[in-house]
Amino acid sequence: MSDHAAAAPTSTGIDHKKLIMWLFLASDCMFFGTLISTHLLYRKLYPTGFTDAEGHERFIQNLFDIELTSFSTFILLMSSFLMALAVSAMHKGQVASFRRNVLGVIAFGLVFLGCQVYEFTHFWQKGLTIQNSVFGSTFYVLTGTHGTHVAIGVLWLILLYFYSFTGRLRGHGGALDVEVAGLYWHFVDIVWIIIFTVVYLVEYLGPNGIWGAGLPLS
Amino acid sequence: MAHAAHHAPVADKTELPPERSDIGLLRPDRTTGLLDWLTTVDHKKIGILYGAFAMLFFLLGGVEALAIRTQLAAPENAFISARTYNQMFTMHGTTMIFLGVMPLSAAFFNFLVPLQIGARDVAFPRLNAFSLWTFVFGALALNASWVFEVGHLAGWFRDFAWYQSLTYTDFAPANGWFSYAPLSGTFGQADAALHAPRFTGVGTDFWIIGIQILGVASLAASFNFIVTILNMRAPGMTMMRLPVFTWMTLVTAFLIIFAFPAITVALIQLMFDRTFGANFFNPTNGGQPILWQHLFWIFGHPEVYILVLPAMGIVSEILPTFSKKPLFGYPIIVFSGAVIGFLGFAVWSHHMFTTGLGPIPTAAFSLLTMAIAVPTGVKIFNWIGTIWGGRVRFTPPMVLSLGFIWMFMLGGFSGIMHSAAPADAQQQDTYFVVAHFHYVLVGGVLLGLMAGLYFWFPKIFGRMPNATVAYVASGLVIFGFNMAFGPMHYLGLAGQPRRTHTYQAGYGWEDWNLVATIGAFVLGIGVFLAFANLAWTAFRGRRCESDPWDARTLEWSLPSPVPAYNFAQTPVVATRDAWFAHKHGGPKVGALDDGGPAGVHMPSQSWMPLLASAGFLIVGLAVPMMAMGIPHAGWAVVSGLGVLFLGIWLWALEGPGGYQLVTPAATPSPAPAPAEAAR
Repeated sequence: MSDHAAAAPTSTGIDHKKLIMWLFLASDCMFFGTLISTHLLYRKLYPTGFTDAEGHERFIQNLFDIELTSFSTFILLMSSFLMALAVSAMHKGQVASFRRNVLGVIAFGLVFLGCQVYEFTHFWQKGLTIQNSVFGSTFYVLTGTHGTHVAIGVLWLILLYFYSFTGRLRGHGGALDVEVAGLYWHFVDIVWIIIFTVVYLVEYLGPNGIWGAGLPLS
Repeated sequence: MAHAAHHAPVADKTELPPERSDIGLLRPDRTTGLLDWLTTVDHKKIGILYGAFAMLFFLLGGVEALAIRTQLAAPENAFISARTYNQMFTMHGTTMIFLGVMPLSAAFFNFLVPLQIGARDVAFPRLNAFSLWTFVFGALALNASWVFEVGHLAGWFRDFAWYQSLTYTDFAPANGWFSYAPLSGTFGQADAALHAPRFTGVGTDFWIIGIQILGVASLAASFNFIVTILNMRAPGMTMMRLPVFTWMTLVTAFLIIFAFPAITVALIQLMFDRTFGANFFNPTNGGQPILWQHLFWIFGHPEVYILVLPAMGIVSEILPTFSKKPLFGYPIIVFSGAVIGFLGFAVWSHHMFTTGLGPIPTAAFSLLTMAIAVPTGVKIFNWIGTIWGGRVRFTPPMVLSLGFIWMFMLGGFSGIMHSAAPADAQQQDTYFVVAHFHYVLVGGVLLGLMAGLYFWFPKIFGRMPNATVAYVASGLVIFGFNMAFGPMHYLGLAGQPRRTHTYQAGYGWEDWNLVATIGAFVLGIGVFLAFANLAWTAFRGRRCESDPWDARTLEWSLPSPVPAYNFAQTPVVATRDAWFAHKHGGPKVGALDDGGPAGVHMPSQSWMPLLASAGFLIVGLAVPMMAMGIPHAGWAVVSGLGVLFLGIWLWALEGPGGYQLVTPAATPSPAPAPAEAAR
């Protein structure tokens, strides 16, 4: 995107593209911070989660499929590992290795998105909608926004994969483009670690958690 | 980049064969005319466009203000209806903040920052064009609500099914610039179409999508300016040698990138409430409307500093120039600006003292609000210290800057009164608050920006504004402003409520309201005269030399108007206020051995930023139309997003392009730059 010679020295020694991506991610921290705060504030206010269409109080923990979410979290973490390998390969000019690793990242990203689509459908069928509770609103908007970030990342990596055949990714500029995409990907991954912890895992602590008492198994 | 080497350096791009982008599309290459203004990536032209659009919207916001004041001139007046009145104060606030002051500040960022740091452009020229057009189209989308409102009042839509099925027919935003939930949101249960009952019509949807689009423009511009300032400084231009205006631009840009995400999320949540029946602020289903206030003011209070810091930067350039002294306490001014930036995020709840936060948060936010007066006061003392003992020359920008200090200080004093929560509880929602923030935003920001316009216009256009007209206009502005807003302090303490379209006689408010209205018209005439003078100057004004004020920073070392390449050779800076030192026996401004017949790299123009932004215009119009229930509007939203993504994709595919532009050869520097310059 930079129209000025990418190789020209900058005052800080950091490339324009890398610096603007760091700034975007700083801004995105506030973005996700606001969404996560909204979720946590309401979660503290309404400990029982939501009421379904029949008027039954439902506990989130019974809705969550923590095994599936742990699996998709693990997949997303491993995609970051492959992304690091792809960036490293591009820096060394090993295009074939870059293609292999970036395909892996794309595949893992798609698996994560597939798990999220499954989870949304599952929750919706169990009666959690965006309209029937505050929990539904905050949960779907927060995790959906994260899913949108992942989808944009996947789209971006697919473009980079094709560019690796057209010659656009040659040299320093190409390695930089991949590295910037990598920064974005790692950030989206880190945000998911936080979401997984504060949206899913904490539900299993405290009196209503599976290790506490008082959880009606409905 | 490899693209640069394709052609020999030229004096004008039209000498080259037409340039094709990486995907074979022809790129625009005119440097004059409409085609040039639509596709330009030159920060100076983008700055001029920002300024022109901002001044137009400023006048529009002014007309809305005069409608408000005319309505309030007499008790139980019927000049405009209560509904129109609500729309007027909402659009007045929104227009002045997002379409007037912020873009006018952006005009200065664009024009000045690269020149002040010795750069040839911003870091991402096409992204800069994208910010401009996204602002323009977001502003148009927001103001399109007036077209629908007029259509409603004129009865254009009577025969349409979608119109007949509307519950609320207010088409222009009417919730105030803060759009508090639950008034702006929903109540009750959502129906099968995912719509919960609402309190307001599609005006609110126009407001939500308009502000969202304007936020994109501000964020993109801020990322660009931070990278430019941190990364593109000329050799020797260390951070503590940056002109103060550039410093304040940097702080403002950081405020924007950290404050705007909060309003972005709040707008998304409100949009989900209204469009999909979500419950973020819907009290029926447990939503807490107070959350909107928190999220809005976490953005809204830093926004105040986003508005005022650029004006402070402008004044910090003007006062030293006309006092023939360096800025008093430069590092303290810079650090005060940064401290204001940090503390700006820690005072938002002082807008919410009457919401029942409890004693601990109220006390904490009271204290922090008092604390933020300290760096602000430090700046004022530094400005006074700058004038003190200087050889003061009175010019229109200097008079306006002195007006800025005085008026801004008055606004600061009433601000400190608000910081005391018990006093604020009395002042909440009265005209005292209106008086306070207009002293800060008109007496402070508007005077500062006008001072900047009169100061830099000779640089931008190479023409000098008429000083007599400028003095008359400045006098009218300062006098009319005090006449309009001074009495509001009294009216507020006497109990007149804000945002109320009329009042009864007998409360003792009649006389001062009439005075305020007359003052508002004097102010309006003054602003119009000041802008008309500038518009005349841009086309017909008297030509002037390149450095008419004997000013201090690098932009004044360049010819007026500034050539496309800015600096023929990259300057090498050895001191703060480098150009002043250069002229008056200090270290000389050196030059790198670049440019000349070998040429400098220039970015190519592009249609793609305009195309991508046009997608936002379609979205901005289609989303409220979808809320109106106009058939197929949903597809228009999808096609708008399609245009946006197509624009961005073609933008990525076309490649940066670029060519080598010949600049005048280097003249031998009278003295080599000192060794410290290379630091």
